[in-house]
Amino acid sequence: MNTTPSNAGASATCAVVSRAVVEARLSAIGGLREKPSPAGAPPLPHRFLRHCDEQTVLGMRAVLEAIAGHPEPRPAFDRFGVVAAPCQSGRIAAAQTLSQLKTGGAAVVSPHIVPQGSLHAMASTVSVALGMHGPNIGTSGGPQALSEGLFTALSLVHAPTAAGAERCAGIWLIATAWDEEPRLDATGKPETDPLCRAVAIAITRATDAGAATTLTLEPVATTTGVGCGVPDAAGAIAAFGRALELCAEGGVLESWSHVCPWGAEIRMAVQAVGTRSLRREAA
Amino acid sequence: MTPRGRHHSDAVVITGLGVASPLGVTFDEVADNLLAGRSGVRSVEPAAFAREGRQFAAPVQTIPAPPAGSCDVSAAEFATLDRLEQLCLGPLAHALADAGLSGGGPRIGLVLGLGAEQLKTWEFDFLGGGREVFEPRPADTLVHGLARRLSVAGPAVTVAAACASSGYAMALGRTWLQTGWVDACLVGGGDILSPTAIAAFYNLRALSRRSDDPAKASRPFDAARDGFVMGEGGAFFVLEKAASAERRGRRVYGELAGIGMSSDAVHMVTPSSDPKEAARAVSMALADAGVEPGQIDYVNAHAAGTLVGDVAEAGALRLAFGAGVDRVPVSSTKSMSGHLVSGAAAFEAIACLAAIERQSAPPTVNLDNPDPACMLDHVPHVARPHAIETTASNSFGFGGANLCLVIRRAA
Repeated sequence: MNTTPSNAGASATCAVVSRAVVEARLSAIGGLREKPSPAGAPPLPHRFLRHCDEQTVLGMRAVLEAIAGHPEPRPAFDRFGVVAAPCQSGRIAAAQTLSQLKTGGAAVVSPHIVPQGSLHAMASTVSVALGMHGPNIGTSGGPQALSEGLFTALSLVHAPTAAGAERCAGIWLIATAWDEEPRLDATGKPETDPLCRAVAIAITRATDAGAATTLTLEPVATTTGVGCGVPDAAGAIAAFGRALELCAEGGVLESWSHVCPWGAEIRMAVQAVGTRSLRREAA
Repeated sequence: MTPRGRHHSDAVVITGLGVASPLGVTFDEVADNLLAGRSGVRSVEPAAFAREGRQFAAPVQTIPAPPAGSCDVSAAEFATLDRLEQLCLGPLAHALADAGLSGGGPRIGLVLGLGAEQLKTWEFDFLGGGREVFEPRPADTLVHGLARRLSVAGPAVTVAAACASSGYAMALGRTWLQTGWVDACLVGGGDILSPTAIAAFYNLRALSRRSDDPAKASRPFDAARDGFVMGEGGAFFVLEKAASAERRGRRVYGELAGIGMSSDAVHMVTPSSDPKEAARAVSMALADAGVEPGQIDYVNAHAAGTLVGDVAEAGALRLAFGAGVDRVPVSSTKSMSGHLVSGAAAFEAIACLAAIERQSAPPTVNLDNPDPACMLDHVPHVARPHAIETTASNSFGFGGANLCLVIRRAA
């Protein structure tokens, strides 16, 4: 199959209509699990996050922060989908489960390990908690989490539909990762207290909203390798989060772009001065 | 099926297929077994993980190695790979070869539907004496290693929507073709049996406990059903535009004509008792394909044999198809294959292609006494010869994920 500049495919531009960047130490995530909603965000059912992975708790918090910080009137998110891109999520629960399996056999394996520890779990948790009826999808699970998440979210928002068929209203994209993976003892108990980072953005087709910030995927004719991008989830999420903060605070965004080695570039652009600051969840 | 084009050049068609399943490792073998009503469910080891009686499941007996020249892995090296990678790489390489694309290319994408890659990796490492779950090494995910082995250099991502994962992979790959980001795309998914998964689903009371007669255990829509049977396998396709397939003179298995996706947003495990969102996914897929409910000739149901899920799906089909639901043959091939979890949606797309090619709806075996709460136009026990041009295949997953694919004959 040939490859020429003329067949590189269509560009796709999305409006970032809501966003938040949060971080927390592992030791602080228990508190967020108990009290996930900041002021101004929708309340979650009591103990809703009790079986969730730590990255899911922080990803959920990022979405709630974004909603709380969104100027009124808020968009209706009930027809949005959710794309969640964690990195090695479910590991702490998996370690505890495997440790228990070894000593107690199959009878003690937690029934929550599959629904709460698999790759879809963060997206499903956000969908269920906030009543979002678009598709809910986990993606990546590894060091290219942000790249795969961005590309999957942009793909869903720009999916062509037949005339008269329903179109995806928008997507919440959440990406999470640890700065350093927690070290666990033989029972699965954490021995270190690393920092977890999460970003959450809500995107729609650029024509659907006059938002200040846009993300554009531009196909290019050259390829440089396999995969979606930089294999450093925490570093990529931190850089993406800093760019989002600059946009939100009205700063001059020098550049944020992400080269997809397969032949595309994703760029962030500021169309106008943002109106609010992002809040950060301190460690 | 003969090499020929679709109604319009932008249609997305299936030109390559690879499978490793409890019911066979080629399209013809799977089609033969499905239409003969053969079960792939049997007793399996290790019995030590069984909670009651014998452990049973639907395992893959042999995983075909990649065809010579299809990728950079020799048969000897293939034998050393872990089982999950084998179950993906083998069928992927066969799909590429089937489509005449061995050797890969720069604009061939890969979407891998796989819901629990890390859980399985950590588990088998741990059971083998490793400590990766406690002290993980930085490692890329399987999809990128597969892309390198197959020399496909387009975009590569993993997607997960629990038991609908491989269907979402098909949906995403179709989108990439429609937007022109790839010229061809490998899509599908796979999964393997594991002690922890079997124990977790058992403890969730989702698995059948009919250990005295494994082949009768998977009984979707039957009044005496008591849960699903775990299976394993991988099923993958090459998708490309109809114009490309015609230009290359490739065999076309069928058209991936419509996609519908929605979420219940009700519960992390249990499907909603309100069929609205599942029915919406079906209606979206039909609208995307430009067909009316009355034009669907066969429905491959998700129906896994769980008490709640089968009733919910029957309600969704009644809502989506209206009064016409009584005239659409519906079956669950999980009655024979077991539940391939991440690979289920792609495997059941093969069942739809088989129904189209053989002009016969595969049966729901073990459907002795249909549950009155699941009344549909069932195909119990034996295949039903029937004119089949357009099919719909449902897949639902934990977290309220709903997916419907419309697959039709490439005209």
